[in-house]
Amino acid sequence: MKKLFGTAAASLLLVTAAGCGNSSSGATDEDGNWTPTQPIEITAPAGPGGGWDTTARMVSQVFEEEEIIDQRLPVVNKAGGGGAIGWAYIAGQEESPHHMFVGSPPLILVPLNGQSEYSHEDFTPLANVIADYGAFVVKADAEWDNLNDLFDDMKEDPQSVSIVGTSSPGSMDHMQFVKIAKAAGVDVTNLKYISDPESGGLTSVLNGSVDVFTTGVAETIEQVRAGKVKVLGITAEERLEGEVLSDFPTAIEQGIDETFINWRGFFGPPGMDEAAVTYYEEKFKELNDSEAWIEIREKYGWGEMYMDSEEYAAFLEEEAESMQALLDELGLARE
Amino acid sequence: MDAFSGLMSGFQVAFSLEGLLFVFIGVFVGTFIGMMPGLGPISAIAIMIPITYSMDPSIALVMMAGVYYGAIFGGSSSSILLNAPGVAGTVATAFDGYPMAKQGKAGKALAIAAIASFTGGTVSVVLLMLFTPLLSAVAISFGPAEYFALMFLGLTAIASLADGSAIKAFISATLGFMVVTIGIDAQTGTSRFTFGNPNLLEGIDFLVVALGLFALAEVCTLVLNRNEKDDGQSKNIGSLRLSKQDIKEMSGPVSRQSFLGFIIGVLPGAGATIASFIAYITEKKIAKNPEEFGKGSIKGLAAPETANNAATSGAFVPLLSLGIPGSGTTAVLLGAFLVLGVQPGPLLVQDRPEIFWGIIASMYVGNIILLVLNLPLIPYISKILKIPRPLLISLVIIFSLIGVYAISFNTFDLYLLLAFGVIGFFMRMFSFPAAPFILAFILGGMMEQSLRQTLTISNGSFGIFLDKPIALSLIAVGLLTILFPLLKGRRKYKVS
Repeated sequence: MKKLFGTAAASLLLVTAAGCGNSSSGATDEDGNWTPTQPIEITAPAGPGGGWDTTARMVSQVFEEEEIIDQRLPVVNKAGGGGAIGWAYIAGQEESPHHMFVGSPPLILVPLNGQSEYSHEDFTPLANVIADYGAFVVKADAEWDNLNDLFDDMKEDPQSVSIVGTSSPGSMDHMQFVKIAKAAGVDVTNLKYISDPESGGLTSVLNGSVDVFTTGVAETIEQVRAGKVKVLGITAEERLEGEVLSDFPTAIEQGIDETFINWRGFFGPPGMDEAAVTYYEEKFKELNDSEAWIEIREKYGWGEMYMDSEEYAAFLEEEAESMQALLDELGLARE
Repeated sequence: MDAFSGLMSGFQVAFSLEGLLFVFIGVFVGTFIGMMPGLGPISAIAIMIPITYSMDPSIALVMMAGVYYGAIFGGSSSSILLNAPGVAGTVATAFDGYPMAKQGKAGKALAIAAIASFTGGTVSVVLLMLFTPLLSAVAISFGPAEYFALMFLGLTAIASLADGSAIKAFISATLGFMVVTIGIDAQTGTSRFTFGNPNLLEGIDFLVVALGLFALAEVCTLVLNRNEKDDGQSKNIGSLRLSKQDIKEMSGPVSRQSFLGFIIGVLPGAGATIASFIAYITEKKIAKNPEEFGKGSIKGLAAPETANNAATSGAFVPLLSLGIPGSGTTAVLLGAFLVLGVQPGPLLVQDRPEIFWGIIASMYVGNIILLVLNLPLIPYISKILKIPRPLLISLVIIFSLIGVYAISFNTFDLYLLLAFGVIGFFMRMFSFPAAPFILAFILGGMMEQSLRQTLTISNGSFGIFLDKPIALSLIAVGLLTILFPLLKGRRKYKVS
């Protein structure tokens, strides 16, 4: 039903869009090689300044400045609904090879939480480019020194530890903690999780009102360097590279065999042409290997994680299944 | 590097030719964009970010900071002249600023706002310079329980914002509470009152409500009363000069609110808006003539204008010394820092003293430039009132639409804006005050969330408030402000 409605809405939008202008579909030569013939619009489904926006702008910058793509790639912000507004916009650009958007785990989680009618299945995965990881942070003088200390206490009484994240239950901050804690044997249906969208959780951990802050790795570096907090564990497969980063122990090396990847990649509208997908795959590969991009990755502390369209689709399917199972267990999944 | 030599290196940045030039550009752009009804510091900063890409980070950030406090400085104009606040922080400015302009004292009102802003800005920069390391402890001293208590204290103002019927003020506030619950509830992830509409998932933006209830409702009233004879009063700009009496009257609020505003600004999540409301309320409570508030009181104008600028400097404390953005605007500003490869946080003052102290030192310069820039402009800015009414009304409508559209580029918000315009108009017709609505809308969301966070932490026990001295005293003050007038009333009754 949801899908049917989605398709209906999308085709309606398409009809409207088609009525408004003559959007070009690019040029395909005799060998079936496609090239763009007009500027490629990259949508960041959020306001300026956040992770999606930064990724989109940096990708656009490298594509243009390194002349990997011979067209302008303007970034537009479509904020709202935790991404839902931007996704609905792209869904309305069906088959257009000159539109794409940047996506990450919320593209799976938001629809599963019943807050978007479109999900990763509705779009055309082009390529994944980077990976980021979650970190679990406590105050520098907290009683726990590693994840096992913390989870041992939580196994006895899950309610004895409070956890804060920036976003609501069922979102990335919450789910990355749930995923790791569950693998450690904690009863995750009974966590004391609070969401602090206003001041973002770090304050609450620093002043001791909450015990654990679940956030991204990059957000913790400065506070760790200043000796205000300690990182009990991160959700990456292996230790990260970098001055402070390499000190963060992974969950895996602490005997908890689980990871959480904050992947970030690019998607086209529904039904994008094969030839165009191949074109973008190659271009993203070129971007991924370029000096300029490697520099940007280092600057922002992003990990490399290139996947082509096919690998990406399979990876997303797996991620979605595992998230669905977790949300079902928590009673958070909605239709 | 000790603080003194640090500050000296900061002044070197701020007083270099480049530094002075870019502080000027920053505050000029900021104050100009801030003056536009509907456009505030977020738009101003977002517009300027791409310009900074290839600049020297310390110069770029000095400029961006200038854009930020410049926009707050300039934001008062549209509140005073058109009743169309462009930022949440200048809503309270309209309470007494707009009535003053209507009485033909627009020039004076703008002058008071400029001087109050300047003083608030400058005093708070001194505090920022002297106490930042100490204050970072204050910034994190507020947990959910303390925030709830602060919001509670702010809400006790509802009764004092009523002119006339207290019942109507409470009904209006209740509507504000209801509207703010729309959207995804952060604590459960459930969407509330969205009717399945994805446009409502993130809730309704403050600006939509403020421009609807204030600017559009005013437009409706003007259109309805178009046949009333214009006495020419409201077109008068009046003199800019402040009498000794005026200065005496504003000196109290300005000196008090420079400090109070700064302290509230230091708290992440509180910021300029809450500072301006609390300033307005405290001044009304302690004034000898509280009945003048809302009718063009100098105190009522000076207090929020001082506080919102002081709070703006205050917001730099958690941003620079902890890397915690306390508001949507400072979050965008943090983004600007990161783009330039500068990571604000506890180590900024050691790692990049020229940036830390450069921003602070430039704020002295910036505030002086703002005053020098704004005072001579007042006669020109207030000429806006000379625009024939039909044209002025259309301009207000256009700017309100642009301001709202610029938030998310979503046409749905425009319909919402119109809806709130209609609601605001009917509220006026039946004399329900709009101020309690907006106050409840601003404080309500955070109040609900912080209460639920507190109770989650305490496993549902209200006893947690008894263990928190700051929270307890704030609630006690709040209760006193409610009970005191009642007790006073009874005593009078007994005597008679």
